[in-house]
Parts: sequence; C-alpha cells; structure tokens
Amino acid sequence: MNRITIEIWLWIGKELGDDFASPSEMRSIREESVAEGTTIKQLLDDLAGRYPPIARSVLDTKTKRLLPNIVVNYNDRVISPHIVHDQVLKDGDKITVLPIYVGG
Amino acid sequence: MDIGGYTGKILRVDLSKDETSIMELDRSTIEKWIGGVGFGARLLYEEVPAGIEWSDPDNRIIWTSGPLAGSGVYGAGTFNVTSKGSLTNLAGCSQANGYFGAYMKFSGFDGIVFQGRASDLVYLWIKEGKAEIRNASRLAGKDVWEMEDALREELGVKEKDVSIYGIGPAGENGVRYSAIVGDRGHLAAHNGLGAVMGSKNLKAVVACRGEKTFEVKDPARLKEKNKALFEHAKGFGPVYEWGSGGGLSALYGIGCLPVRNYTTNIFPEHEQMNGQYMRTHFEIRSKPCYMCRIAHVKEVTVTEGPYRGFVGEEPEYEQLAAWGPMIGNTDLGAVVMLSREVDRLGMDCNEASWTIGWVMECYEKNVFTKRDLDGLDMRWGNVEAVKAMLNKIAKREGVGNLFAEGVMRASRKTGGVAVDWAVYTQKGCSPRSHDHRGGRWAELLDTCVTNTSTLESTWAGIHPQLVDLPAVHDPFSHEEVSTINAKFNGIRQFDDCLGTCRFASTDPKLQLECLNAVTGWKLTLEDAFTIGRRVINQLRVFNFRHGMKKEDERPSTRYGSVPVDGPAEGKNIMEKWDWMIENYYTLMGWDPKTGKPLPKTLEELGLGELVKDV
Repeated sequence: MNRITIEIWLWIGKELGDDFASPSEMRSIREESVAEGTTIKQLLDDLAGRYPPIARSVLDTKTKRLLPNIVVNYNDRVISPHIVHDQVLKDGDKITVLPIYVGG
Repeated sequence: MDIGGYTGKILRVDLSKDETSIMELDRSTIEKWIGGVGFGARLLYEEVPAGIEWSDPDNRIIWTSGPLAGSGVYGAGTFNVTSKGSLTNLAGCSQANGYFGAYMKFSGFDGIVFQGRASDLVYLWIKEGKAEIRNASRLAGKDVWEMEDALREELGVKEKDVSIYGIGPAGENGVRYSAIVGDRGHLAAHNGLGAVMGSKNLKAVVACRGEKTFEVKDPARLKEKNKALFEHAKGFGPVYEWGSGGGLSALYGIGCLPVRNYTTNIFPEHEQMNGQYMRTHFEIRSKPCYMCRIAHVKEVTVTEGPYRGFVGEEPEYEQLAAWGPMIGNTDLGAVVMLSREVDRLGMDCNEASWTIGWVMECYEKNVFTKRDLDGLDMRWGNVEAVKAMLNKIAKREGVGNLFAEGVMRASRKTGGVAVDWAVYTQKGCSPRSHDHRGGRWAELLDTCVTNTSTLESTWAGIHPQLVDLPAVHDPFSHEEVSTINAKFNGIRQFDDCLGTCRFASTDPKLQLECLNAVTGWKLTLEDAFTIGRRVINQLRVFNFRHGMKKEDERPSTRYGSVPVDGPAEGKNIMEKWDWMIENYYTLMGWDPKTGKPLPKTLEELGLGELVKDV
C-alpha cells in the first residue's frame, strides 16, 4: 500500500466532517492508503464514492471527467486533466484538488 | 424614446468653448451599438481621426451608461469610459461601478462626450436634463476623497444625493496610469483615462440622483428574471461570501499569484492575505453599489498588526495581489493602507504595482541604488517606502517622474538587463494583477490581443460553458486556449454595453432576458455575440488606424517567460505563441498574417464602411 496525501481546496471542510483535517476554511486534508498501481483518477473516484461533497464538487457525474472548473496538482505541480487519468501514484505523493477559475 | 431603458440623449461638452449641447440618439444607432462600450467605440472612431494623440484637446473622453443601468436590475450603476488612452495611445475602455451609471441616466443622459480643453480646472454638474461647466480651481491637487468631500459640502448635498467621479493629483499631473475614481473607491482604471481627463482640465463630474427618466417595458418579467440572475450570481464562485479576494489562495494553487515581480511563485503566506482571512479577522461593513444585493464591496477596519485601526475599502483581489505578494509584503493591514493610498492619489493599482515591483527588483539587484531612488529603501516588503514612492509618482516628483510613465517606458529608458524584468504588453497596457503564466493562459492571450486595453474576451478566467460552448479542460493547451478565447469573444463586450456589474450579472442568458424585459426587444444569444463582435472589430479598426501593429500583440520578455518554480514551473506559453496567435486571428475572422479584420468579417457585422480603413 502507498500513503498519499490528498488536499481539497474547495471550502467543503465543514461538509466533509472529521475524516479530514481542516487547517482553514478552504483546505481539507487527509491521508489515504492506496493499492499499488492506483491512478489519480481512481483515487478521486474512490473518494467521490465515499464523500458526496467531493462527488458534487470535483467530478461530472455524467461524463466521469473532472468538472471544467477543477484542476489537479500532483506533488504541487499543475498537471493536465488528461494526465489525471493515467498518472500512477507512488508512496508519499501529494494530490491537491482546487478550483481554477475563481474570483478576481 | 420608445425603447425601454434609454433617455435618448447624449450630452456633448465642449470644454474649449465652455458650452454644452444635446445629441439625440436615433433607433438604428441604439440597436446597432446598444450603449456603454458600444456607443463609446463608435463615437471614438467617428470623432478621433488618426494623428490625434491621447493628450490632444481633440481627443474625446466618452462616458456612457447602458439600457440596464438604473433599470432595477441588481448592481446596475455601472458606466463605461472610452478614449484614446495614455498607456497605449490606442483605444482604452474601462468600467466603474457605484452609482454613476444610474444617476447619469436619472439626470437625463445616456452618455456624455467631452472634447476640447478648459482654460482652467473645471467640473461638470448634471441634473434633470441640465448641465453646467463650473470652475474647480480650488480643487487643484486634492485627492479624490478630498474632492468628493469638497464638492458635497459646496453643493450642500448628502452622500447618496449625488454620484461624483473625478481625478486625483495623478490625473492632474498626467501620470500615464491615472484612473477616474468616484463613489468612495470605485475606479475606471485602465489605460490612463484619468490622464486624459487631466489633459482636458476636467477634475470631476457630478451626477444628481433625480427621477427615473426612461421606461421599463415589462416590469413583471424583469422582476422574475432579475431574481433568477441574483440567485445565479450568489452561487457563482466565492465572491458573494468572501469578496473577489476569496479566490486568492486558489489562484496561488495554480501558479497565478504574482510574487515579487514574477521572480518566484512561492508565497506560503497566501492564506493570511486572502478574502477569507480578511472577513474573519478584520471589522467589515457593507458598502453596496446602486441596488446591489451581491454587495461584495465592503469597508474594513484593520484589527491587527502595524496598521491596526486603519480604515479603508476592502481591497479587491487585484489590490490584494498587487500590494501583497507582488511587492513581497505579508501584512494584510499594509495592503489595506496601500490600496487606500493608490486609490486616493487616483492611480491604477495594476500598472502601479508592475512599476513598483520592477523598481524593487532593480533595487534588490543593484540596478538602482538608494540614491537613484531619492533616498527610498525599496527592498521587498518595505511598504512605507512604497507609499512614499506612490506619492512621488502621483506628483511626478524626482525619480517619480520616470516611474509615472509606466513600467514599459521606465524600463526602456533605464535600459540594460532591467528591460527584460518588466511585466507589460508590447502595446503598453497592463495585465491585471495575476501571474498569467500559471493557469490563466487564456487571460495572458486576451491581455495581449485585446482592443480595449484590458480584458476583452475573458473575465476572471473564461467561462464558455455559460453560453453552451465547450469548457477549457487543459488551461495549458495552446490550441484549447486560443480556440475557446476566439469562440467566446463577443459576449463580454456585449455585457459592457449594458451598464451592469459582472459580479451581479454572471449568467449571460438571464442578463439577456433582463435586457429584453427592459427594452421590449427579442434579442437572442447569437444577436448578443454579433453586437459584441461588432464592438470589438470597431475598436480594432480604430487601433489599426492609429498605428497598432501585429508585433504589438505580444507579452514583454518577463510577462511571457517560463515560471522557475511553483505549481506552473516549466510551463511555456511562448513555445507556440505564433501558432496560437494565428489560430486566434483566423477564428476571429482576421488576416492570420497581419491581424487585420477581413472585409468579409466587417461586412457580416454591418461595418462595411470600415473596409477602406484597413
């Protein structure tokens, strides 16, 4: 199993409850254990299945793709949404899910 | 006027002759250009021929409202200013909210065209169809807050009896990025429109509240659609709850926060500088614009740090970025102080910050010494030195005279390696306070190819799904970005014809329903795009006639550089810049090699008479 840190920057900490640490209104953080060979997309699908606020805020339920206003950072680097589907996670990786077009 | 939403009159003010007159609007002009930036673009083209420079008395400065202003649509106090601006010496179009757009119409006018130059400093007063040019010499040198106070006292009116917009010392002294400021902290900031006012010896315009002077054709339908529009705006991003600064940390997360003049993208203090922090730590009071229920405009009292007790307007996102990470400052109270200072002096925070940030980098790297900078210690984060420099710029005092020219001209005059450190477009207009090299390539492209001198196609990113276009999935795809920018272009300029605030009118379809209810029209989304594209092409022909070249539609070296760290490290927009530009031009109906509108494009937009100009 690989340990992955997942950060959600979508102001949904109150909805996610105690499973996530919420150091601020915006950020929710959790560590996940995933099987060898798991991709970013598979991890997001799994989280969406367990946490309705993530399903609502991150994935398009019809197309199963990321919502158009969502971007994913992999180890603090923005990655193309196409890579999200294929990138295999390694132990110690960090995934950040955040909105791309907000405010100012 | 038998079209709802219009007074049918434009006021002409000849400052050289000290006289005013009325222009009647005809139906075909209204239907073709709608108002706001549409009226401005057309009048500028008709009245300012090639060879007239921004500071020439024959330049025009055109203030226009739109059919929704004052109609009852929430947040519809917006007006547009169009002129040949001082940063680009090309068209400049900028909008401000507050009350003026509504009050100008209640005073009997859909717009005001200023021409000439007054022999002494003056202001314009309008009320119930009357207009007077009045002496303002006693207001010389006053900042915009003092100006508003002095005029209200002189007129014996209460705060909301009048809307006042004008210029501070920066505009009077011809600072190239001076703004038109009014209603206690709102700005038409882009392309030095305040400097144009200053060149005409026009200090301010006062519009009295008055009574509604136009009809709303279908009030019941307007009420229904307006309510739906508000609900949409309320749920669109974090602005309703946290202000435009609510997205600051998210922008940091995608590499879009400008940090120390683009020298890095690392700024771990972002969560103590954002809208959430502001609204949970500082004292906040609402200061909504005309009939606005979104009410994102606030006044704040700083409650911690060295500026505890300081009272100012809540900084918008651009101010937070400009006076926080951009200059290496991590104290939010200092951001409130500097935001207030730059507004008070009457300057655009964007260009001011690009200039100050560049000065600081030059100082840190020994291009400028303390002596070069009139004794100011311009190290990163020294906010009191920044405040002092802003005052020097506004007065064109000492080294401030150089920096009053804006960062493109100041860097070119300085020369050497420092030229490559300045953030600007080759036209001379400023990006907004982002690092567009991060996840906002759409805005970087838009900033370079715009005809308005500020955003044209995009707004706070790009939202094509609002008009049933495919969303951009990969913000770093040259093809997706240039294609969607072109396909989406038009609806935002249509929006800027209407006299409403973007934050309160987030759904273009509902906004169009409101327009049809007010005017009695049956415009479709396709009509709206056509009108918006007509405005864009009108401005583009004006700009080519005034000397714009395709080569000007590029970022400066630093603006188009590759981020060296942070979330967007290594992303390179310039890798396929030429391809991206040609794709964009082609989809806009412009010659891919020259960028000039093709005759077919102009004819399809009802602008066949412009073919001879390109």
